[in-house]
Amino acid sequence: MPEISSYTVNFGPQHPAAHGVLRLVLEMDGEVVRRVDPHIGLLHRATEKLAETKPFNQSIGYMDRLDYVSMMCNEHAYVLAIEKLLGLEPPLRAQYIRVLFDELTRILNHLLWLGAHALDVGAMTVFLYCFAKREDLMDCYEAVSGTRMHATYYRPGGVYRDLPMRMPHYQPSPKRSQKDLERLNRARQGSMLDYIEHFAAEFPHCIDEYETLLTDNRIWKQRLVDVAVVDPERALQLGFTGPMLRGSGVEWDLRKKQPYAVYDQLAFDIPVGTNGDCYDRYLVRVEEMRQSVRLITQCVDWLRANPGPVMVADHKVAPPSREEMKDDMESLIHHFKLFTEGYCVPEGEAYAAVEAPKGEFGAYIVSDGANKPYRLKLRAPGFAHLAAMDEMSRGHMLADVVTIIGTLDVVFGEIDR
Amino acid sequence: MNARVDRSEPEMVTLEVDGVELQAPKGSMLIQATDPAGIDIPRFCYHRKLSIAANCRMCLVEVERAPKPLPACATPVAEGMKVWTRSKGAVAAQRGVMEFLLINHPLDCPICDQGGECELQDLSMGFGRSLSRFSERKRVVKDEDLGPLVATEMTRCIHCTRCVRFLDEIAGQYELGGMYRGEHMEISTFSGRGVRSELSGNIIDLCPVGALTSKPFRFRARAWEMLSHPGIAPHDAIGSNLYIHQVQGTVKRVVPRDNEKINESWIADRDRFSYEGVYSPDRLQRPLLRRGDTWEEVKWQDALQATVMGLQRTVGEYGTEQLGAWVSPSATLEEMYLLGRLLRGLGCHNIDHRLRQADFRDDTVAPAFPYLGLPLVDVERLDAALVIGSYTRWDLPLFNHRLRKAALAGGKVMFLNPRAFDWNFPLADEYVVSVRDFAVELALIVAALAEYKAVARPERLDTWLARRAPTAVHRRIAERLAQGERSGVFVGALVEAHPAGAELRALAALLAELSGSGYGVLSQGANSAGAWQVGAIPQRQPGHAGKSGLNLRQMIEEPRRGLILFNVEPEFDCWDSAAAQQAVAAAEFVLVFSPYVTEAMRAYADVILPMATFTETAGTFVNAEGLWQSFSGLTKPPGEARPAWRILRVLGNQLGLEGFEYNAPNEIYSEIRELIDHGTPPALPKWQPAGLEPVKLDGLLRVGTTGIYALDPLVRRAAALQRTVQADDALAYLAPQTAARLGIEGGAQVRVCQRSQAVQLRAHLDPDLPADTVWISAGLSATAALGPMIGQLTVECL
Amino acid sequence: MQAIRDLFNSFLLIELLQGLRLTGRHLFTRKYTVEYPEERAPQSPRFRGLHALRRYPNGEERCIACKLCEAVCPALAITIEAEPRADGTRRTTRYDIDLFKCIYCGFCEESCPVDSIVETRIYEYHFERRGENIIHKQELLALGDQYEQQLAKDRAADAPYR
Repeated sequence: MPEISSYTVNFGPQHPAAHGVLRLVLEMDGEVVRRVDPHIGLLHRATEKLAETKPFNQSIGYMDRLDYVSMMCNEHAYVLAIEKLLGLEPPLRAQYIRVLFDELTRILNHLLWLGAHALDVGAMTVFLYCFAKREDLMDCYEAVSGTRMHATYYRPGGVYRDLPMRMPHYQPSPKRSQKDLERLNRARQGSMLDYIEHFAAEFPHCIDEYETLLTDNRIWKQRLVDVAVVDPERALQLGFTGPMLRGSGVEWDLRKKQPYAVYDQLAFDIPVGTNGDCYDRYLVRVEEMRQSVRLITQCVDWLRANPGPVMVADHKVAPPSREEMKDDMESLIHHFKLFTEGYCVPEGEAYAAVEAPKGEFGAYIVSDGANKPYRLKLRAPGFAHLAAMDEMSRGHMLADVVTIIGTLDVVFGEIDR
Repeated sequence: MNARVDRSEPEMVTLEVDGVELQAPKGSMLIQATDPAGIDIPRFCYHRKLSIAANCRMCLVEVERAPKPLPACATPVAEGMKVWTRSKGAVAAQRGVMEFLLINHPLDCPICDQGGECELQDLSMGFGRSLSRFSERKRVVKDEDLGPLVATEMTRCIHCTRCVRFLDEIAGQYELGGMYRGEHMEISTFSGRGVRSELSGNIIDLCPVGALTSKPFRFRARAWEMLSHPGIAPHDAIGSNLYIHQVQGTVKRVVPRDNEKINESWIADRDRFSYEGVYSPDRLQRPLLRRGDTWEEVKWQDALQATVMGLQRTVGEYGTEQLGAWVSPSATLEEMYLLGRLLRGLGCHNIDHRLRQADFRDDTVAPAFPYLGLPLVDVERLDAALVIGSYTRWDLPLFNHRLRKAALAGGKVMFLNPRAFDWNFPLADEYVVSVRDFAVELALIVAALAEYKAVARPERLDTWLARRAPTAVHRRIAERLAQGERSGVFVGALVEAHPAGAELRALAALLAELSGSGYGVLSQGANSAGAWQVGAIPQRQPGHAGKSGLNLRQMIEEPRRGLILFNVEPEFDCWDSAAAQQAVAAAEFVLVFSPYVTEAMRAYADVILPMATFTETAGTFVNAEGLWQSFSGLTKPPGEARPAWRILRVLGNQLGLEGFEYNAPNEIYSEIRELIDHGTPPALPKWQPAGLEPVKLDGLLRVGTTGIYALDPLVRRAAALQRTVQADDALAYLAPQTAARLGIEGGAQVRVCQRSQAVQLRAHLDPDLPADTVWISAGLSATAALGPMIGQLTVECL
Repeated sequence: MQAIRDLFNSFLLIELLQGLRLTGRHLFTRKYTVEYPEERAPQSPRFRGLHALRRYPNGEERCIACKLCEAVCPALAITIEAEPRADGTRRTTRYDIDLFKCIYCGFCEESCPVDSIVETRIYEYHFERRGENIIHKQELLALGDQYEQQLAKDRAADAPYR
């Protein structure tokens, strides 16, 4: 018998379970993983460096493209940091809209994660159901910003436009009967808030369905329970945040611990795991979706009752409305200057973090008083999580690597930046 | 403005601005104290180079114990003064002023060229409200055509009057003024003739809003997309410092770069708008080679091979003496040096850049280079100056600006000219005499000076005195020069073009020596001083005198078989354009280095090598005060045109000459630098009249210099400058009595004939001309067929 | 008791059957599928698709070459060259958008003071040759002309929010 020592397997970067462009070099001892070496950088676009060359606002669109499944949360951290430097407080309505969309984004992210995770582990159906539901949220993105993903919607000082009073409808087509069309458009009859409310009302049932398919499923449990256990101390040491940390039982959530926007005025709970394995993290994320629905409902109610501006009136930072710009000298000048030069941010540094779906997403800006950041550093939660890949995978089987990638919820847009 | 500059140490006072203690000279204004301290006070009308108008009210600040906010630009500092520039009261006042300034401002930002570099925008962002409260109709002001250089949009004007003050105080022509009052106030010319100052472009930079913008630049680029590169003006011996603005390799505009020692904050229109010539349709993209009677675009390799063959054949068949090179006085130091080395490497010394010089008799005694006699900054401190034969406004606009400052400060500026020119400052004397009598008049001044100083007349002076005795005017000039603590004698373009130039230069130098003045040469081209030093003259090589060759006039009178024209157009650039054209036509092999190709060139040249212009090549210019200023290329030459130093380098290699292995222009520069002592200004030439015999001029004389916008190939192709009134100068100016004698009426077409060459021009009567003089400018296509710039001519009515 | 129930459930594959029942039910529900291209997902008036340059109702092009869009474009996708037109007005001689560079952030439309450059609802386009990714002024104006009605309607619908 020849002696078989450990051998090396290359995993990715073109692998359906690699969640983008992750490349792993796996040192195997038979089926057992001895060492995992994640290789990153294949999606590096120098976003941080790029931001140094552009006026502050021009980089908002690039924030969307970091964690491209939780777009608006990235924007949120970036604009919060700028607002911190400027000492700017957006109108309350804008803050509610931001929370509303942060939570929609959280669901958007978790749906993708859940679908992909389940698919990786072998459950195809969940993936389809999740993606079907994601469409509704994408429609919200599209209705409010004009794009389904890269919204560029949050701006320092508020959000670009108020929520529309009318949702776009499906148009008649030869493929669909009038009755069917009406069914499709039923939720779209009113304003965007009505649509979101409708979504919030029916979405918990959808979560129930996902849980029916997974939570008690023996295969799901066999693949997840006791896989990649991280104890709370270790999780903290590894720099885990978000569901990864809460799955290990640490009750840490920026929305509660360092509330931003209007989270301190809203009621929600933080789910926490007990075992720190993949299954707990699954449960935490599912529960987070339910909590998000709670938050969304509260925001919808508040927004319905409190119309108002969604952008600060200070035109030294926020451009004036188009109507003002067209017949008002001061406004035209401010419009012109803001779109060419942008605004100057006082010298200083600021770090602002949000509880993104994947964990703490932070933007650290150093300003030298110019109209572009002197330095922008982005803290991406996925980066710390992926760093624990080796530790989490050791001793597990090759098939568990896929589960672990799934539970990490990595997206390379933010890791490589 | 009119007070003499006080050089004693000023008394200082201490004041407190925004809690910071500042020192400022007594009598200075608050804004003059805060600006150096970096305290930013908004302003529109204040400009450090202009008088204080205090009419925009933007710089209002709060001063302790003052009941109202005070304008910082018009409030003198006082001991113990306490000022707040950003206090609530000050900010409210500034905000209020800003609001008033904007109520009548049109919503033009998107179509306004100033957008992005507009002081009104910047201050509105920084100090104004963010929403207007004004909902009434805005006023509209009718536009006026100020000429081909400055575009107007007078509705945008905020009446800071910087342009008015600039034209009055700096350009010396009160061409713009404020008309009407209050809401109806307008900035306008009184005459409707437009703005004609040779410094007019500066009002574009001064205008804080988009009321005055550059016409050639109109709508071409935005402030934020342009990259700015330092450059040096390539036209005159001032060497104005420039910023050249380019977008993606295309020069979009040129603006001044502050240099108190040279051009202060201004540049002449010639330097500002000549960049248009870089993009002339005449630009040559590829080397051209003559094949029989046709021209062929060839590869560099073939062109250089043909060049080498042509040069070698000429040398082989006729000897090296039959070669010659004419160099533009605006070529860079490196180009001149390499061309000189190349020619001398072939054993030929016939190289000259003095295209417009008539008299070369003083070549051996001439100083190291045509020196201004004193640093440019000192010109404005002159007590007395005599300028001989120059319309300095056209020849050296910024030298003229310094002279003007001297005159306004009480200096006596005197001119000896063959024509009364349109001066922009009060002259102590404008002595108009025929060029024929220049030497005599100068000798008379010298004689008067000798009398005044009670010294013996210098030897052989009588030769020029023509038995005349000094009159009151000569004594006056001599006395002023002698009395002045700082005085200068300058010889200009007409002395260079004078057939008795050597005598005039000698006499002027003598005058300077006797009166204790500086002796300055107002040389032409950007690099005459450099050309003298690096051997673009036949009698000297860099660092030492060598074997002498033929000067330009000799090369014209005894045409060479092989000629190299380095950015020279003989029909426009030469003293005797008719003879120059004949000499070029007579040559068997003519090699042309030129950025442009013209029909004339195709007629006489055999090889035309496309070279780069001043924005496309690196190089060095030496200005009239001997200052070496290097610049680097910022755009790519079109097509296959190459920087000339590179062409010369390869040509040197292919001719098998040694030491042509340069990789970068700075290697050439350091080599030149080592050869030349550049520290000391040249000494005054000594009076050595032996062998100098007076040259006599007979008959009716044509006199003319090159027009302000006809000076070199580049500026002749600057479209906007060619549309100015100054460029439109193809006239024969005659004194009325001359015209009467010849039976010519003003405005009539006349036939002007020099030697066998005749052209048709319109006659223009000018009472300020001597009777024997017909003024006809050179460098124009209408006068290109004529002969010497100073020489005999006949005029007849058609 | 719980342990016995769990064993029972496990033995009878209860959770798997529940899952199957769910998927079975979904088998007979109405489909989500939108049958593109006959059918399309709904589009809001804010949609940011392919660009177009608009004209005034009198046929005059709106663009005045102010270059705000060029300045604000984070991706540097817009290239404008301008000079005075024969009538002296400020006009572009070149207006290129490189669609490979464009990130469809909508800043150009936001910045335009005359509503000239807009993003249309078009999202289906392709290129077959190199260079086609750069869309020129004439093509942009043609797009504007073709979709003017829809564009005007969309701008009007969104006007209260901007």
